[in-house]
Amino acid sequence: MKPHAEIAEVWPRDGRIRLVGRLHGLPSDKAAGPAVTWRLVVTRRAHPDQRLRYELRVQGDRFEGELPIADLATADHAAVEEWDIHLSDGAAELRAGRRLDDVRGKKQIFVYPEQRTGNLSVRPYYTVKDNLSVESRTGGAA
Amino acid sequence: MSDHRPLPRVRYLLLHAYGRGGTIRTVMNQANSLVAAGWCVEIVSAVRRRDDIQFPLDPRVRVSTVVDLREDAYTPPSGLMGRWRDRRRGRLLDEAPRYIPAGEFGYRYFNRYVEDRLIAYLGALTDGILVTTRPALNFLAAEHATNGVVRVAQEHMNHGTHKRDVQKRIRETYPRFDAVAVLTERDRDEYEELLPGTRVVRIPNAVHSLDQVPANPRAKIAVAAGRLFPQKGFDMLIRAWAKLVETFPEWQLRIYGSGEKKAELRTLIEEHHLYNHVFLMGHTDRLDDELAKASFYVLSSRFEGLPMVMIEAMSHALPVVSFDCPTGPADVLTHGVDGLLVPPEDPDALADSMAKLMADEKLRADMGVAAVLTASSYGPDAVHPRWEALFTDLHGQRHPSGAAAKGQRA
Repeated sequence: MKPHAEIAEVWPRDGRIRLVGRLHGLPSDKAAGPAVTWRLVVTRRAHPDQRLRYELRVQGDRFEGELPIADLATADHAAVEEWDIHLSDGAAELRAGRRLDDVRGKKQIFVYPEQRTGNLSVRPYYTVKDNLSVESRTGGAA
Repeated sequence: MSDHRPLPRVRYLLLHAYGRGGTIRTVMNQANSLVAAGWCVEIVSAVRRRDDIQFPLDPRVRVSTVVDLREDAYTPPSGLMGRWRDRRRGRLLDEAPRYIPAGEFGYRYFNRYVEDRLIAYLGALTDGILVTTRPALNFLAAEHATNGVVRVAQEHMNHGTHKRDVQKRIRETYPRFDAVAVLTERDRDEYEELLPGTRVVRIPNAVHSLDQVPANPRAKIAVAAGRLFPQKGFDMLIRAWAKLVETFPEWQLRIYGSGEKKAELRTLIEEHHLYNHVFLMGHTDRLDDELAKASFYVLSSRFEGLPMVMIEAMSHALPVVSFDCPTGPADVLTHGVDGLLVPPEDPDALADSMAKLMADEKLRADMGVAAVLTASSYGPDAVHPRWEALFTDLHGQRHPSGAAAKGQRA
């Protein structure tokens, strides 16, 4: 199995999406060496060159970070945009997902609440491959 | 040939043998065991809306239908009489039944046509044993299956759950049965008081198998299962879990089943920020495997007949935390031995009892072992001989000189 970022908890609250999980499958010196700085990378699927980067707190193999959802409000936002979540140390890039448990069909089972920002509705979701992404939709704002 | 059979023919009358409900599954389990023991068994479906039977059924069990309601099953007869009959059938299909009280949960499946055809069918039975499986069918059998057949009424729901008009008809008609079979001790007491002089027997339903993979008491998963419907009380279970989540953040609650309350339960999960801990798992075809992944089972129902999935969970060595609702949990569980009984509809008390199990792996393991022992008295081998004994006895009373009176077999 390729190294990946195993998600344990997703907290869509208070205008943020907070992620908690573990770096999985890396050689132990790679994960938490003092010289290594991991970042949360949020990639706009329709424009992969557009990436948002955030600090991550890493302790041992445990990571925690958050995405302020207001940052997804781009000027050229389509009706629906998808954002893929990775962790990066500048060299390696780990896809975030949930692959180590027994639950099949996560897309329908691990369902998270929607949050609003401006005219966007934002919701994290698992893809059919059990990777974690975020969907933002325009319209429907109060 | 049938004159020389040592055992009487047993007919089970179901409302819809082609459906998926718990009563149907239970009756098919009974039929499979009886036919394997040498009995001649027939399942009669009052109506038929589907092509195929939905549960495993021994091919030796005969299946017949009284009224076939499938689209292509009916060819209008020709000729003057035929046209008249066809118009009459159409009219009767639209008319409300005369003998079924409106409070019967199956009322909407009945009409004058189905009723008339069932009455004709029941009146023509002259031998063997007839087992009817829900109040509406019991009422019709009590009044019309009067030409020699031995009659047994099965009750799959607890008495207190029936509406007033149904309870009234029960008091009026059940004394005519040779036996009334209920699922729990509490129901036996209630029916005995209600029907003095009537033979009331308690025979629980059987689980499909006792040969199950034991669960691992170290797992930090609690499991519940049932239709997502107010009866099952999953709203109370989610509220109870909200009180535990900070103390036990590593635990998951998995709720299996589908149903019309899914969106409301999801909203409740979101309100309490439980989306990382409580999961609506949907329907599964492999509930056995999923039960075995947990370390205890929760029953949060407002009422039950006899909760079979709970007993199935116990056969996987899962201890149970259950509301002491009518009826079933108190019949099955010994508080503090194989599970914990909780005052009904009290989410705080449910949370306290779940916390007790979640905090104590050894308690889960010990109670799990006791649960397997409890479940063993609900296995097919423990339950189905009781039906054989009842049928043999009833038939022997009716035909004292016959071979079946002594319970002999070929």
